[in-house]
Amino acid sequence: MNPRFLLLSAVGVAGALALSACGSGSGSSADGTTTIRFVAADYGSNGQHPTQAYWQGVISAFEQQNPKIKVNLQVINWNDLDTQVKTMVQNGNQPDVLQTGGYADFAKNGLLYAAQDVLSGPTAIDFIPSMARTGEQDGTQYGIPFVSSARMFLINNALFRKAGLDPAKPPRTWDDVTAAATALKKAGVEIPLGVPLGKEEAQGESFIWMLENHGGYQDANGHYAINSQANVDTFTQLKSWVDAGLTEQSPAAVNRTDLTKDFASGKVGMLNGFPGQLADLKDMDVTWSAMPGKDTAGKTTLGVGDWVMAFKKGGHKDQIRAFLDFAYSKDNTVRFAKEYNLLPVTQSALTALQADPDEKALQPFLQVLPTARFYPLSDPTWPAVSAQIKTQIGSALTDPRKTLDALQQAAQQAGQ
Amino acid sequence: MSNRTTTVRAGRRARPVRRRPLWQRLGPLPWLAPAVLLILAVVVWPAAEMVRTSLRRIDTSGTDHGPAGLVKYHKLFDDPRLPAVLTWTAVWTVVVVGLTMLVSLAMAQLFNQDFPGRKVTRWALIAPWAASVLMTAIGFRWMLDQVSGVLNRLLLDLGLIDHARAFTGDAGHAKPWLVFVAVFVSLPFTTYTLLAGLQTVPAEVYEAANVDGASRWQTYRKVTLPLLRPAFLVALVVNLINVFNSFPVIWGMTQGGPNADTATTTVFMYMLRGYDVAESAAMSVVNFAVVIVMVLLFLKVSRWNEEEN
Repeated sequence: MNPRFLLLSAVGVAGALALSACGSGSGSSADGTTTIRFVAADYGSNGQHPTQAYWQGVISAFEQQNPKIKVNLQVINWNDLDTQVKTMVQNGNQPDVLQTGGYADFAKNGLLYAAQDVLSGPTAIDFIPSMARTGEQDGTQYGIPFVSSARMFLINNALFRKAGLDPAKPPRTWDDVTAAATALKKAGVEIPLGVPLGKEEAQGESFIWMLENHGGYQDANGHYAINSQANVDTFTQLKSWVDAGLTEQSPAAVNRTDLTKDFASGKVGMLNGFPGQLADLKDMDVTWSAMPGKDTAGKTTLGVGDWVMAFKKGGHKDQIRAFLDFAYSKDNTVRFAKEYNLLPVTQSALTALQADPDEKALQPFLQVLPTARFYPLSDPTWPAVSAQIKTQIGSALTDPRKTLDALQQAAQQAGQ
Repeated sequence: MSNRTTTVRAGRRARPVRRRPLWQRLGPLPWLAPAVLLILAVVVWPAAEMVRTSLRRIDTSGTDHGPAGLVKYHKLFDDPRLPAVLTWTAVWTVVVVGLTMLVSLAMAQLFNQDFPGRKVTRWALIAPWAASVLMTAIGFRWMLDQVSGVLNRLLLDLGLIDHARAFTGDAGHAKPWLVFVAVFVSLPFTTYTLLAGLQTVPAEVYEAANVDGASRWQTYRKVTLPLLRPAFLVALVVNLINVFNSFPVIWGMTQGGPNADTATTTVFMYMLRGYDVAESAAMSVVNFAVVIVMVLLFLKVSRWNEEEN
């Protein structure tokens, strides 16, 4: 190795150090401006409606009103977000504000400000109460709801008519589902009932079917009950649909994104849908209905929420409060919900969207939202348990009891 | 024996060294230092960090809760999926490398012949090598898809099957396809290595074999194969390590799923990372140990061959 190489590598190392120093652009500078770091998830799909552009707009408006505060934005896609944030925390380099899917493990480790510290009064009371409660851990709210979504049963009307079924009378019970799927299969529909238990969203798909049989991941006392009899029965039912060829062939290997694309191209008769599909289904004849339950139409559904949280590390409580108050103003929340077909988390946005004639498609979801049930989000072991459910619960279609027992054991061990 | 050699060498070297001042003895250091630093930075440090991580208790938020002892190793070895993963890793490595070597031997022989269009076919062989492995894997994943896959379309239109199959949906169907794709992407490198080996075999040796009346099969077994050994061994060890550590083929086609049914240890390690970094690091340590054992075994076996000859 020659000296020139040495010099080059020295320059390289120095450059890398300088770059990593730039990476953590958070703090106060000499002229009294404070920079806060904000990491957000990317809700845009297929390169359309980039979330980066939305936040950039909000931030430049905010910085104009608050010349003393700069916001350093980083938008990360959902696949990499968890890992990158984990690395930031591990290196003691957490952002000031984070918008992601869960808050419980950060709160448990005492990394977060309580919501009341970083929200002013009017902003705090605007949240839908059930949402705000879901952000509580041990009586203190740490998770600030950002957006929500709910699931409804979705039917392809054209395929239903082709099978001699009436789309105005969607299946209400699991027996109805069996009958409809059998008819669809006879009519040559490729996938009568879509059950995406691939790891992308298996924890959600499973939870919906569990809820319709009065099961769930935890019992009323907040203890894991993954292998309860109700859940085993639920998967026994799902297994019987798979065995009868009424679903796609290997649900454990099928992801939600792929299955919803198959639905949009008219190959799926029915499935558990979500409002994110509305854009793809604009020109399609479909029916949204309540989830079919085991004996009667389901009275509840799955609600999912994404969260904002503020980290203590940087000590920028006041600047964070100013930014969150601005970001949660009605104009911004309504605009975000409309842009990405998501449901709002504040009363003001909910009212505005209900009155909005352009948002007719969203109305059924806004109606079921108050009845929705959420994952055990405040449980700090949930992120780990959820990750294991995602990869493993598909096997319950082969052997319900064994898989659910293994998951229950893993859940009890989590966090030890 | 080795002890004696070192003493002799040290003794021989000792005299001139004593006369040279320290700064001169350190003379080579500036030239060696970058390489040593590089190895320390990119090999030793990450490996040490990996072992350290496997002994910590780190939760999903990335917070470190202190030492965990061997808890993560116990957790890993208690995982009911691990035996199947280890077995499949062994089968995967042996079958993929075995098939690759066999097919490559035949293909190298073919490409060593003179035939019209040889140049073009040699170029064509590079294609799977030049394309990103992940891209190839994702391409095959979609060709094999149940709903939009071209293979199902073809078989349906030919009337060979009556309904679409999910070729990557369960382990039984997916594993042969994974092996097929892994062999497909390993062929170019192996074939070219063996081809280069074949071209070093001098023509006179074949003439001599011919004169002595050796049959074709005898010539191949007694002349070509022994002379091909250096190239064969290089291809073998590179493939063994590559296939054992192979990630993109399996990740691109099944992501190790359903559950961990098609995961090798490398893929399994990545799956564990999703919820327990420390357990994932423990898996890495085990993986690392297996690779070292494989390399040691290989060195031993290849040296034993040399001595025999």
